Amino acid sequence: MTTRAISVDIALGLVPLALLVLLWQGLVSFGYAPPTLLPPPGLVFMRLINRLSTFTYQQEIAATLFRLFAGFLVAVLLGVGIGLAAAVSRPVNAIVRPMVRVLAPLPKVALYPALLLLLGFGHESKIMLVAADALFPILLSTYYGASTVEQKLIWSALAAGTSPRDVVFKVVLPAAAPSILTGCRIGLVISCIVVFLAEMITSTDGLGHVLVTAARTFQAVDMFVPLITISLLGLSLNGLLQILRTYLLRGFPEV
Amino acid sequence: MNLLSSPSGARETTTPASGLAIPMIEIDHVSQIFQTSARKDHLALSDISMTVGDGAFVSILGPSGCGKSTLLYIVGGFVNPSQGIARMKGKPITGPGPDRGPVFQEFALFPWKSVLGNVMYGPRQQGVKPAEAEAQSRALIEMVGLKGFEDFYPKELSGGMKQRVALARTLAYHPEVLLMDEPFGALDAHTRTRLQNDLLNIWERDRKTVLFVTHSVEEAVFLSDKVVMMTRSPGRIRDIVDIDLPRPRRRTELLLDPRYQKYVVDIERLFDDTGEAEVL
Amino acid sequence: MISAKDIVSRAAPLLACLGLLAIWQVGSLALQNDSVPTALEALRAIPAIMGDKEALINILASLRRMAIGFSIAVLLSIPLGLLMGRNRFVAAFFNPLLMVIYPVPKAALMPIIMLWIGVGDLSKTLVIFLGVSLPVIYHSFEGAKAVQEKMLWSGAAMGLSAAERMVRIVLPAALPEILTGCRTGLVLALITMVTSEMIARQSGAGNILFNALDMGQYDTVFAMIIVIGAMGICFDALFELLRARLVKWSEPQFDMPLSFS
Repeated sequence: MTTRAISVDIALGLVPLALLVLLWQGLVSFGYAPPTLLPPPGLVFMRLINRLSTFTYQQEIAATLFRLFAGFLVAVLLGVGIGLAAAVSRPVNAIVRPMVRVLAPLPKVALYPALLLLLGFGHESKIMLVAADALFPILLSTYYGASTVEQKLIWSALAAGTSPRDVVFKVVLPAAAPSILTGCRIGLVISCIVVFLAEMITSTDGLGHVLVTAARTFQAVDMFVPLITISLLGLSLNGLLQILRTYLLRGFPEV
Repeated sequence: MNLLSSPSGARETTTPASGLAIPMIEIDHVSQIFQTSARKDHLALSDISMTVGDGAFVSILGPSGCGKSTLLYIVGGFVNPSQGIARMKGKPITGPGPDRGPVFQEFALFPWKSVLGNVMYGPRQQGVKPAEAEAQSRALIEMVGLKGFEDFYPKELSGGMKQRVALARTLAYHPEVLLMDEPFGALDAHTRTRLQNDLLNIWERDRKTVLFVTHSVEEAVFLSDKVVMMTRSPGRIRDIVDIDLPRPRRRTELLLDPRYQKYVVDIERLFDDTGEAEVL
Repeated sequence: MISAKDIVSRAAPLLACLGLLAIWQVGSLALQNDSVPTALEALRAIPAIMGDKEALINILASLRRMAIGFSIAVLLSIPLGLLMGRNRFVAAFFNPLLMVIYPVPKAALMPIIMLWIGVGDLSKTLVIFLGVSLPVIYHSFEGAKAVQEKMLWSGAAMGLSAAERMVRIVLPAALPEILTGCRTGLVLALITMVTSEMIARQSGAGNILFNALDMGQYDTVFAMIIVIGAMGICFDALFELLRARLVKWSEPQFDMPLSFS
């Protein structure tokens, strides 16, 4: 694509966002929405910048990020591990497949109360919930990538003297990397969503908690701030993952 | 023309070092049955017996579906025969190993490794130190004509270049036998002839044993000492033809050589006789 | 002849369920934690919930909202996604907007939406609508994008107008992908429904769940978990059947984030 085409796309894409902001401002200015319910965009963004520079808000962000990453990491380790194992080992496959079929469509958030009872109301229950939700896309993508590795790649490695066990890490894992990273991307977005929701349901800190507190005190401005924050966080993390993906997959042809 | 199962072959009898009469590769009454998805049994190979002498360049020629690739995979140890046994230097073949190096039609290069990384893979597996492996690999990459492309990724290479890398990668771990599965089948005609020439040049250096699967009569006659002709499925050996043409072989000379032409015509005719005209 | 292997593979999910319940049973006995009832105790509490008229009405009302939100979302999202898939400008226009909304948990919008339009059915349905729309739009977009240009040219040559080509060629061709999106949307609908009830705390399954938690009725808590879980599994299984019927001509799809199909 030419640079001109790309910049046209970007310009075009910004239009709805700009329109939305204008609409927002319009609703407030022309009195269609009371400022207590719908604060003007300028005010919201000022508030956002304001709060971002306060230490307390940064701590909230830190708490959310910590749970997000911890849960995501657990999901990656378990998901890739189990996915790989199920792809290369028949007995593991036989056990894992039916369990995943049963557990995958289950709304994991329903497990939250159980996690609260088991792990308490602190970090652990939220981290486990994030992990439980992010696990399945990663597991399934890993399984898919690992089980569709080109047979001749494996044979080439075996002929070169690689042991069957080493083949899993030296061939299957790298060959499945594109699939695994796609699953991780989905898992990351899910982690953002779930951590925020868990904090909204029960928490004493974190961005979700900030939202709920603001709701209880009917502070509309303060409700927008954490929402925008999590949206920006999600976008940034996604962007970082994309960069990582481009680097790791630099040898792979584009699908 | 030799008939079925006769253990003929160019330099089969002795290798100077060992003084033994054991052939390099021996295929002993091998049959292969596959289970298709319809739960029926498909007989792919039927009672194949043949030998390959040390240093011989042997082509396995046949129409598609005759099981020639399967035979190669059995020698490679990637597939276990349903019946019979394959041996290398007298010992049964039970699995893949660096003594029998494959080169596949699909190249099968590791996409996450550069050209150099791919070629270095074998030596590193064998415990060669990185610096030494790199030096060896660079030399090989130059030998196959890809000097300057060491840091390129497979996706940036043409088909012909990828196959050169695949060849270098296999040669890097010094197999005694090269197993080539229609290696030039995915390439255009021009690249194919160039690679055929280059392959022969490389082979002339140390004369490894080669098993070369193809469906092109001209390719088989041009490259080999012996052509094993296979029937359509279930694959059996129909004939083994000794190719008595001098080496080194130059394509331009050979194309005009009446002996070469006679071999090609005779073999094609043999295939035509039974209506197996899918051979090119 | 049905082999033993067939029977085992068919029954595998059921066996998995029983296996999980068994693990739960053993685990809870080992834990000896008052707040964690055994699987059997939880199962026994289910009839009590189902029998409770009010709770049942509550749950059915939730499901009704979910169905409405889902249906409207699907009806609006598929055309939008298809248009985005075939028209670069439409895609460029909506893409950034959608990408910004994507990471925001729709259930998190509940408080704001409730602030604006009150606590009635509309707010909950709206949230579900938003949650379902995104995956359906995205998958419709991907499905429409992948339709081969040559198929459309053939259609044009046959005299079909642009609108007809969209409905009679693009839509069926993209249907497998669209249905994948709908399946994701269905999962999200259930999740959004339960989560928004956990946040808004007024009625519905999520509310019953947390009420029981607050009141220390742990049997009920776990019983509700089983009920909600069963709902998720049933919807998914039913949808899979429907999907298989509708697109049996297509090649096997891989539902990335969902499950083994």
